[in-house]
Order: sequence, then C-alpha cells, then structure tokens
Amino acid sequence: MSKSIVRSIKNVTNGYTSAQVKSRNATSNDPWGPSGGEMDEIAQLTFDDATLFEIMDIIDKRLNDKGKNWRHVMKALVLLDYCLHVGSENVVRWAKDNLYIIKTLREFQYIDEEGRDQGVNIRTKAKELTLLLHDDERIRTERANRNFMRDKMGRPGDDM
Amino acid sequence: SLAHSGRGFDLTRADADLAVSIKKATSMEETAPKRKHVRSCIVYTWDHRSSAAFWASLKIQPVLADEVQTFKALIMVHRVLQEGHPSALREAQGQISWIETCARGTHGEGSKGYGPLIREYVDFLLSKLRFHKNHPEFNGTFEYEEYVSLKTIDDPNEGYETISDLMNLQDQINSFQRLIFSHFRHGSSNECRISSLVALVHESYGIYKFVTSMLRAMHATTNSDEALEPLRIRYEAQHHRLVKFYDECANLRYLTSLISIPKLPLDPPDLFKDDDDEAAPSL
Repeated sequence: MSKSIVRSIKNVTNGYTSAQVKSRNATSNDPWGPSGGEMDEIAQLTFDDATLFEIMDIIDKRLNDKGKNWRHVMKALVLLDYCLHVGSENVVRWAKDNLYIIKTLREFQYIDEEGRDQGVNIRTKAKELTLLLHDDERIRTERANRNFMRDKMGRPGDDM
Repeated sequence: SLAHSGRGFDLTRADADLAVSIKKATSMEETAPKRKHVRSCIVYTWDHRSSAAFWASLKIQPVLADEVQTFKALIMVHRVLQEGHPSALREAQGQISWIETCARGTHGEGSKGYGPLIREYVDFLLSKLRFHKNHPEFNGTFEYEEYVSLKTIDDPNEGYETISDLMNLQDQINSFQRLIFSHFRHGSSNECRISSLVALVHESYGIYKFVTSMLRAMHATTNSDEALEPLRIRYEAQHHRLVKFYDECANLRYLTSLISIPKLPLDPPDLFKDDDDEAAPSL
C-alpha cells in the first residue's frame, strides 16, 4: 500500500483536524516538499488560536520524531521557519517558549543504511533557527520584510 | 499561557520513556551515549520543569558496576546540567554524594582504562556545581547574557572574583581534556572517550566568550590596567591553550561530524578594544 494512502487512513482513524492533516502532509516522509503554497496555507491558519494549537502540536510531534524519520524533523523545521516569518506572532512565542526543543536538535544525528549523514541539514537548520530566536530585532525586520514582499508580489501559489 | 500548552504529553508514559532513555544512554557498549536518548532526558527536564525524576531513575540503574557505564552516565549528567531546565543545576546540588560515589568505585586504571577519567570527571562536575551555586546567574553552558557583564561594571570587585572563578573552571576543563587525549587507545575508535569532549568544547567556549566580554567591559570602565594585569596574563595563557585544544579536536573526524569546533584567532584579542565585531561566532 502506498505511503500516502496509509497516511490518509491514519488521518481519519486518529481524528486529525484539517489543519493537522495539512501539517502532517507538509512534513511527511515524501522525498519532496513542502511547497510554498502548502506552507503558506498553514501559516495563515496560525492566525486562528484553535488551529494554531493544532498545527503546533503536529510540528512538536514531528520535531521529536526518531532518526529514521529525519525527514519529519527537517520538514517540521522548514515549516516552523516559514511560519515564524509569515505566520502569527503566536508562532514566535511558541518557538521561544519551546526553544529547548529546537536547540537540542543542533546535535541531531542520523546515519542512514548507506552511511550518509542525514543529520547535517537538521543540525544546520536548528542552529539557524536558534540564532534567529535569540535575536528579536532580526525577527521583527525579517517578518516586516516578508510581509512587505508578500503585499507586493502576492502569495506563493496565487494566480497572479 | 501559551507555554507548553502545545506539548500535550502523557505523564506516566513520559516517566516510563525517561527510564528507557537513561538505560539506553548508559548501556555497556563502549560507544558514545546516543544523542537521541540524552536529548530525551534534557527535554524531559524542560517539559516537567524539574530533574527530580531524572535523578531518581538514574540512581536505580546499575551504572556503578561497570566503568564504561559510569563514564557514560557522567557524560549524560553533564549534558543534562548544561542543556536541561535551570532547575537541573539547582537540584544537582542535592546529588553531590551520588556523583562522588561514581569515583569511589574505581581503582587505578580500571580494566578498560576509564578509572582516571571517571575520577577527573567527578572532580570537574563538583567544581562546576560549586561554581553555579556561587554564581546562579550563569546557565549550564555559559551562554552569553548581556546582564552578567553589565553587573560586572557596577561592581568591579565582584567582577574580578567571577572572572577568576571562571578561569579556574577553564583550567580544570583544560587538564581534563588533556587527560582524555592521553587515554586514547590504539586500535580503538575511542568514540566513547571522544564523545566526552563535546560537552567540554561547548563549555570551554562559553566560558571563553564570557571572560572575553567581561574583561573588555572591566578594561573599558575601571581604568585600572595594572590591577587587571594578572587576569590579562592568565587570559592570554588560556587563549593559547584553547587554540591548541580546538586544533586537536579539529583533527578528530568523529568529533567534527558531531559538532563544529570553534576557530579562535592565533593571537588573543585586544582587551583594550571594545570591539563586538570580533565576537566569536556561535556554535
């Protein structure tokens, strides 16, 4: 059975909400993605408190996944990074409150069956995000710039 | 509040998972304690804002029966003190006698040569705990916090003492790392021994950055170059020893695959210049 079918069965049996299904799909083990459009849709859902918690719950689970699921961890960092920039301020607050989750990933290790170090990108991304979260001024400017660009250029995935 | 409300964990399940993590991190294999298990212990202390369960669970593990297990337990304890919730540093003050017990069980070299390393590690951890007891404003990895150096400027005498205490700890890290290097064995990957250097690299660099910024602040505000001369001389000597330590670490491929090793300039930075651009990059 294909992985995406298994995932959609899990989505139903575990009673995930639609925001959670979107977040799970964006952070899946598929070797591609997440796309800008997918991330943008999720980032917009963080402006609603109810969906914010649902999304952060999935990101949290994915960040704490085991080495074999390193793609979950990597994509959760990518999605979190995106939401920190264009999502609600509450994402920034969540990330600061739970900084230790991100910080401790700076030493993430996983060597796959073929001896490839799949942890290196996660370590780099976790270091970047840790630095960003320590720098309020940088978060402010980067968020302001992203919102400015978005007003000018439209959202990713939009038909211009 | 937003804090932690996003992390819905099951309490009984978490305690069972913690015991498994501790057991796996301190297994008999002569390897590094696996990061994922150590990380679980660290995350547990933040989730529960306490390290009490970590200590309770560690103390019922039979880690004292085997020198490799004891050494791995000390590495894990060090990482939890460094990266765990701030309560872990405070609560560890009540665990000093258990830490001492780790050294008491070893005699001479030990069959795998960990005896001297265990005793030195215990000495170092006790000094570290003493330091944190006297200076609760520092966190476990000595990450740079502006307010500490600002406080120094208000009270130069206290600043002088703090810098001396930090330098004592730095000297102890230095003798410990030299002991570890001198205990490498030919024909072994030395992975378990090398993994203990990770925490020492983090800690020595945190201390170095702190001392650099505190000494700069002291020079800029006190105008007593002569009084600060002993600290300057000591700082320069420590700088050269750190350069050598990091050079040796950079040659250990296993270590460089785990963490980035700081690159210090060959010569110590000018303490009379208040130049934040020279601040070393974070790891």
